[in-house]
Amino acid sequence: MAEEKGKKMKRSEANTVGSTNASKTASPAARPAGAAAKASEGSLNLQNLEVFYDKFRAVNNVSLNIEPKKVTALIGPSGCGKSTLLRALNRMHETIPNATVKGTITLDGIDVYGPLVDPVRVRRVIGMVFQKPNPFPTMSIFGNVASGLRLAGASSKGEIAGIVEESLKKAALWNEVKDKLNEPGTSLSGGQQQRLCIARAIAVRPEVILMDEPCSALDPIATLKIEELIRELRTEYTIVIVTHNMQQASRVSDSTAFFSMGEDRGGYLVESGLTPQIFTAPTQQLTEDYVAGRFG
Amino acid sequence: MSLLRFTAADLVKAPSGRDARRRRADRFMRGIMFVTAAIAVVPLIGLILYIITNGLPFLTSQLIVNSPLDIEPGISNAIIGSLQLTIASIILAAPVGIAGGVYLNEFASPRVSSAGELLIDVMLGTPSIIAGLFAFLVVVPALGFSGYAAIVALSVLMIPIVMRTTQEVIRLVPAGVREASLALGIPVWKTTIFVTCRTAASGLLTGVVLAVSRGLGETAPLLLTAKGTNDTEILNFGSTMNAMPIVIYRYSSSPDSLLIGQAWATALVLLVIALTLNVLVRFRTVNNRVA
Repeated sequence: MAEEKGKKMKRSEANTVGSTNASKTASPAARPAGAAAKASEGSLNLQNLEVFYDKFRAVNNVSLNIEPKKVTALIGPSGCGKSTLLRALNRMHETIPNATVKGTITLDGIDVYGPLVDPVRVRRVIGMVFQKPNPFPTMSIFGNVASGLRLAGASSKGEIAGIVEESLKKAALWNEVKDKLNEPGTSLSGGQQQRLCIARAIAVRPEVILMDEPCSALDPIATLKIEELIRELRTEYTIVIVTHNMQQASRVSDSTAFFSMGEDRGGYLVESGLTPQIFTAPTQQLTEDYVAGRFG
Repeated sequence: MSLLRFTAADLVKAPSGRDARRRRADRFMRGIMFVTAAIAVVPLIGLILYIITNGLPFLTSQLIVNSPLDIEPGISNAIIGSLQLTIASIILAAPVGIAGGVYLNEFASPRVSSAGELLIDVMLGTPSIIAGLFAFLVVVPALGFSGYAAIVALSVLMIPIVMRTTQEVIRLVPAGVREASLALGIPVWKTTIFVTCRTAASGLLTGVVLAVSRGLGETAPLLLTAKGTNDTEILNFGSTMNAMPIVIYRYSSSPDSLLIGQAWATALVLLVIALTLNVLVRFRTVNNRVA
C-alpha cells in the first residue's frame, strides 16, 4: 500500500503542474483494487476540436461534453471522422505521421494536450479497444492481460496475478479461461478475444475506455455479450463507443453524438444529446433521416 | 448440343474429342511441372550423395579430433576456427542487423528507409570476395592476416542478410498489435522490443541462422583474411586461423589423395553442421509458433 500511495502522489504531482483542478484526477493506476471510483472521474470535454491529416481537416470544430461513468455513442456515416475523433481523445492519432490537432480536450479539467503531458501517460488513463480483436500473438491469455502492468513496470508478481483475475472477471471472461490462462490469447474465439482485449485495457485501470466499433468483427451472440459487458462497465468507467450499428447505439448508450460529413469531406457534429432523444425526437432533420435509415 | 452451354443431359453423354484433348493437356502440363521440379532437385540430391560417398571413407574420429600437425592428421583446428569465426561474426552482425532493420521499418522516414533498402540490396548482391578485399585492404594492413580481419569480412556479409530478414518479418507484424500496445500506455521503445520484436522473434532467429549458414560456407573472404594455418588457435583472433572452407579449398587442389579425401570429409562435416543448425532452428520455431 505504501508503494501505491507513493505512486499516487507522484502522479498527481505531475498532473497538478499548471492546473488548479488536479485534485479530481487521482491516479487510476494507484487506485486500490476494488475501490469505488469517484463519480466525477473521467469526464471529457472537447472544445472546438479539429483534427488534421496534413492539410486535410478530418474533424471540423467539434465541441462536446462526455459525461463521466456513462456510455456515449458516436454515430454517423462512414468517413465522417468518428474514429479519428476517438483516436484524438487518447492521442493515439499521433502514431500516424502528419496528424495534428487544434482545439482542446480536457479530462477532468486537465488539458490532455498540455505542454507537460506525456501521450504515453494519457493512454494509461484513457484506454482503447479496437475494431479487430488484437491480442498479442506471442503472449498467453494471462500475459496479454498482464502486459500493460508488466511493461509499465511497478507491480509485483502477486499484485499482477490479482489484477489479472479481477480484470478477467470484470470482462466476463474469467469462467471461460481460468483453467487455461497459459494458452495463447489467439487460441480464443473472436468474441472471447475481444473480451480479452477489454480485460487487457481495464487491467491498467483507466478512467475512460474508448471503443472503436468493438463488435463489427463479431457474430451476433458475441456482440450481445460485449454489449452486456459495456453496460456493466459503465458503473466504473466512462465509455466512448464508435458504432455503425444504430440498434447497438440505442441499446448500450446513455448519450449519442451524431456526426456527418461536410462538403469539404470534413466530419462535423450535427447534434448530441441523450440517446432516447436523439433516436426519437432529434432536433435536426439530418439526424432524423440518418437514424431512420434514409441515408448513410 | 451447343459448344458453350451445357445442360444436365450433356453430363452423361460419352466424352467428346474435346474432353479427351483437355485431359491430355492436363496430363502434359502436370508432366512438365514434375520434370522441372526434378531438374531442380536431382542435382542437389546428387551433390549430397557425392559428398557423402567421397567423404564418408575419410570421416574418422581422428579427422575431427586431431589437428593437421598430429601424426594422424585431422581438421580439428579448422572446425574450431570456423565455429569461432562464425560465432564472433554473428555476435557482431546480429545486433547491428536486427537494430538496423527495425530502425528502417519502424522509425526511419520514407526517404531514409528506401535509401537504406537500396543499400541493403547492393550489399546483398556484393560478391563475397569484395567483402574479403575490403577487410584485406582495411584491416589486414593494421592487424595482419588474422581472425579479426575475417570477422570484419564475414560481418559485412552477414549484416545485410540479417537486416533484410528483420525488415521482412517486422513488416509482417500486424499494425493492430503495435496499436494495442501503444494504447495501453506502453512506451514506444518497449512496444518495439517486447511486443513487435517478440511477435517476430522466430523470424528474426531465421534471419540470424541464414546469416550463420552463409558465414560458415564463405571461402574467398577467409583466404584473404584468416588465411589458414596448421596451428590450433583458440580465441586468439589476432593470429591467422584455419576454417573448414579454407581446408576444402587448399586440400582439394593438392596432389595428395589423402588430403583430397579429407577435403570431401570436411565438406561433409560442414554440410552436417549447417543442416543440424537449420533443423534445430526449424524445430524450435515450429514449437514456439503461436497459431
